[in-house]
Amino acid sequence: MSNSPLVLANISKAFSGVPALRDVSLEVFAGEVHALLGENGAGKSTLMNVASGTLIQDLGTITVDGVQIEKLNPILATGLGIAFVHQHPAVLPDLTVAENILISVPKEFLKTHGSVNDSMRAILDDFGFTADLKERVGTLTVAQKHLLELAKAFAVNPKVLILDEPTAPLGQESVDILFDRVRKITEKGTAVIYITHRMAEVRILAKRVTVLRDGKWRGTSLVSDISDQDLLTMIVGRELHSTFPAKHDLIDADKEFLHVENLTSEEFYDISLTARRGEIVGIAGVVGNGQSQLLRALAGLGGYQGSVKIGENVLSQRELLKQTAYMPADRHGEGLMMTLSVRENAAVSALKKFRSGLLIGRNKETKIVMDSLNSIAVKAPSMDAAVSSLSGGNQQKVVMTRALLSEPVMIIADEPTQGVDVGARAEIYQILRDITKQGIPVIVASSDAKELEGLCDRVYVMSRGHIVDTLEGADISEERMVKAAVASTTLKKGSHTETKTVVRGGAFRRFFQGDFIPPIILSVIMLAFGAYVYGKNSRYISAFNINSILLLVTALGFIAVGQTIVLMVGGMDLSVGPMAGLLLIISSFFVNDGSKLGSIVLAFFLMAIFATTGGALNGALIRYGKFTAVAATLTSYIGIQGLSYLLRETPGGNINQIVSAHITTSWGAIPVAFIILVAISVFLEYYVRSSKWGMRLRAVGSDEESARRLGVPINKTVIAAYVASALFAGLGAVMLMAQLGIGDPAQGTSYTLQSITAVVLGGTSLLGGRGSFIGTLFGSMLLIQVLNSTTFLGLSQTWQYLFQGLLVSAAAVLYTTTRSSKRRK
Amino acid sequence: MSTTEISREMKKSSHVQISRGMKTVLSATVVLFIASHFIAPSSTSKGAVLGMLPFAAVLAIIGLGQTLVVQQGGIDLSVAGSVSLAVVFVTRLPLEHNDRLWRAVVVAVFAAIVAGIINGILISLIGINAIVATLGMSSLQYAVIMAISQGSPRQTTQLLLHIMSNLTFGIPRAVYYAIATTIVVTVLLKMGVGGRRFEAVGANPRAGRAIGLKVKQTQISAYVLAQLLYCLGGIVLAGILAQPTAYQGDSLVLPSVTIVVLGGTSLLGGRGFPAATAVAALFLQQLNQMVLALSVPFGVRTLVTATALLVGIALYTIKWNVVRDKFSELTGKKKSSTLANA
Repeated sequence: MSNSPLVLANISKAFSGVPALRDVSLEVFAGEVHALLGENGAGKSTLMNVASGTLIQDLGTITVDGVQIEKLNPILATGLGIAFVHQHPAVLPDLTVAENILISVPKEFLKTHGSVNDSMRAILDDFGFTADLKERVGTLTVAQKHLLELAKAFAVNPKVLILDEPTAPLGQESVDILFDRVRKITEKGTAVIYITHRMAEVRILAKRVTVLRDGKWRGTSLVSDISDQDLLTMIVGRELHSTFPAKHDLIDADKEFLHVENLTSEEFYDISLTARRGEIVGIAGVVGNGQSQLLRALAGLGGYQGSVKIGENVLSQRELLKQTAYMPADRHGEGLMMTLSVRENAAVSALKKFRSGLLIGRNKETKIVMDSLNSIAVKAPSMDAAVSSLSGGNQQKVVMTRALLSEPVMIIADEPTQGVDVGARAEIYQILRDITKQGIPVIVASSDAKELEGLCDRVYVMSRGHIVDTLEGADISEERMVKAAVASTTLKKGSHTETKTVVRGGAFRRFFQGDFIPPIILSVIMLAFGAYVYGKNSRYISAFNINSILLLVTALGFIAVGQTIVLMVGGMDLSVGPMAGLLLIISSFFVNDGSKLGSIVLAFFLMAIFATTGGALNGALIRYGKFTAVAATLTSYIGIQGLSYLLRETPGGNINQIVSAHITTSWGAIPVAFIILVAISVFLEYYVRSSKWGMRLRAVGSDEESARRLGVPINKTVIAAYVASALFAGLGAVMLMAQLGIGDPAQGTSYTLQSITAVVLGGTSLLGGRGSFIGTLFGSMLLIQVLNSTTFLGLSQTWQYLFQGLLVSAAAVLYTTTRSSKRRK
Repeated sequence: MSTTEISREMKKSSHVQISRGMKTVLSATVVLFIASHFIAPSSTSKGAVLGMLPFAAVLAIIGLGQTLVVQQGGIDLSVAGSVSLAVVFVTRLPLEHNDRLWRAVVVAVFAAIVAGIINGILISLIGINAIVATLGMSSLQYAVIMAISQGSPRQTTQLLLHIMSNLTFGIPRAVYYAIATTIVVTVLLKMGVGGRRFEAVGANPRAGRAIGLKVKQTQISAYVLAQLLYCLGGIVLAGILAQPTAYQGDSLVLPSVTIVVLGGTSLLGGRGFPAATAVAALFLQQLNQMVLALSVPFGVRTLVTATALLVGIALYTIKWNVVRDKFSELTGKKKSSTLANA
């Protein structure tokens, strides 16, 4: 038993009634590479998601090291020594390389080479990963991110290592390194499950191989005992219950009508295709080999070099975008406006046709759209039904209606039958065939080779961005397509250099895109501005003025620090201002002249309770109620304000003078509270970069999905952030106690906008994931300085508003544009 | 064409559709007026209603602008600056001279267009957070306001007072303007080519891009149109107050967002419901009026608004069928466990 670290027995799993795995068993042995082969959708990834606890199986058992596991989850799986390198790396773009390692690799594995940093460097060097540890992962290439994921997984010496198509994004050199490391780790006794589509890799690496087809186990064999042909036979031959329309009869007079010549971009290389009138062109290959990007380019949605000619016209990218019709694979995300009706979705690209006079003629629109919908038999309760209420097949037909109504020069369909039931499939095939009969070229990409076999008159097989085979007529078969893809040994072009080049600029650029540049810019502005004001009015730099400025800074600073925490998790807290106001009101009932110590202590206790409750409510509304951060905190903004007015309609309740004096205690001109604020900011700055909790905070804001995969408790983290924000508003309220000296329900609210301004000045990203408490501190200082200076300069309120508006806009523009390379969503 | 089986023809599209938001907010408004009549009769007296309507009209016009921005997935906090600026322009520039009013209106409209374009560019092209950008804009608008008015109020012109406050058929004219604006916005949005594209982009910008719509321009236009509506709202407001202050817009920011939400437009963007927003303005204004008539403290009034917003968002965001299922699951379990215990 001990040499089978992982046994999956009789696993079945269905997604909403559709079986993805049926009674699949797999046993892997220590020290072997076990290849998992199969076509797209054969169930390989589903099986591995079950093995790593990401999915829970419906039936069957998982046995790890001889112990049967009841309910596996990702955290437990990691603990049991199962590591999974996904096809799409679960990295956190706003965290550095080092932080990405620290958040998921336990400390005990980072002691191999003396210091933690040296160990991390060694782990990465081992995979030929050259980028700096301090580099933000968002700036890395896809190949580098992948190497990082591989390095992390290998570093923990797992018992079972699952690699899902690990060579897909890699160049030759990295592939060689990977193969070598795989061999080494199996020598140490690790079992490697290697998902691939490539026969060559199976031959090089694997000892045994298991083939899945249609979610069913097809066989397991020693690699040395089985021929390529036999393996191929096991992979193909999927049953497809669908009827296809007759193929195009080639007429001699048919001329080539569509010419795509030497199309090249980052994701595909030197693609040339042709088609005759009436032909359907298929693009085959394993998912993610550049097919989708090629189709997007043909639809005018992505840049390319090369030319596309339809009939006699060479079309520019802009013309392609306007004149072709694109049916995206991601129907919900990119194909349909899910909240709009069937009619609106179908009509949207042909609206001008329906115009009568200035407006759209409703009868005209209804008639034309209805005819078109009926011509391809879209089944919907009514034209006004939300398109989201339709079945997958009918949704796709709505997309096709739209395409037809727009009278396109070419139709481009990416996975047109994904999520479509069998009956509707046949209809969709027929519609595509009818379209080509009208002389409109149709290009179809599908991961389902059987479908292309039945539908297409010409098929191009892609692998890693290259066309590796062209099939016509009788040659078009599932077997030929799969063979071309699995026999392919091409590698992604350019990725060789991609993994090697250090991102341009290095330390210098990193510094300029880093979190510490805003404080430097801000201090320069503050000094210059301060000098200018001092030149105009020498009373500006007096102990009294410095002290009062710093007290104001402290109040704003605390509240803004809380806001920064929330922004780091990708949220926003509009309720901080009213919260500070409410807590001030509460204190004004208990901390008066003559109040007993007990009453004063009670006040602070109550303030903490109210803050915690308020913050938790915000967080809960967002996480459990699915409110947007703005909606939730706007509601509490108004609610908290109401509560304040309920407690005190007019200002009242003078704050105890002795307490005030304590709060404003100063060393020379510097208030002690300000020093505490600085200390807290510095501490937090360090804390969010070094502690696990801090990294989790930023992980959630950076990429929630990746964070979840890494086992970060999302709900807890977000709610904690809102509680922290409210508690910091409480510290702000303490400062207000001394500054205002009275419970005034009108105070506080302005701090919401001021805190956001301060945080923006400090360079914290409103997209989440990154930020700087020291930046926020400096932002608060600059804001208060500017507001305060106008009195010394004898300037009117106009200037206060002008400075405030210009500062926040300029800072937002500056930071957004310098970091714009960071994310493109 | 071998359309295998033309199954039964699809049901015709009905001409008039009433959104869920409209149904909700309309019935809530009716209930509110009935409740007001019994709980706080003074709030439904003729005088009270005629006093409340013009303010509901202003809020409705501003809410229409906010609706356009919100349905594009944005939010516009520059309502404060924009409305105040329009008010200041049409009171400060004419200085009670009727013949100077039109020039002031032209200036206000021009300023609104400029502000809208800047907002749109900052948010849609440069990618700045909508809250930050419109917050900055509001500050800049207040800078202009202070430069013109030094923050002090000024009498409104007689002409504007006539245009906005006189009664026609016994109803303040501002109400007609609000209704007309609502109709124009609704018709253009639902029946104009540009309006339909606008809705499509709001519902799914990625899909809009995939079919070749001009996504960025559409988003920018939302901010410009919104500013124009705030400007109109400000002008109407200046005409229903004898002496408007320079900060008139401040108290309208949160209500404008609240009524958009109550009308059923999602803060995540998507389809916009301008008519429902306008009705929600009436609802919110009457709610205030009723609570005011009950002479409860200001705090309670604010809490009532917060509750209305909370209920509004919860109504449209929370998937109630899921909650119901979970609840019945829980109670079901309870039942079975009690059975087991028994």
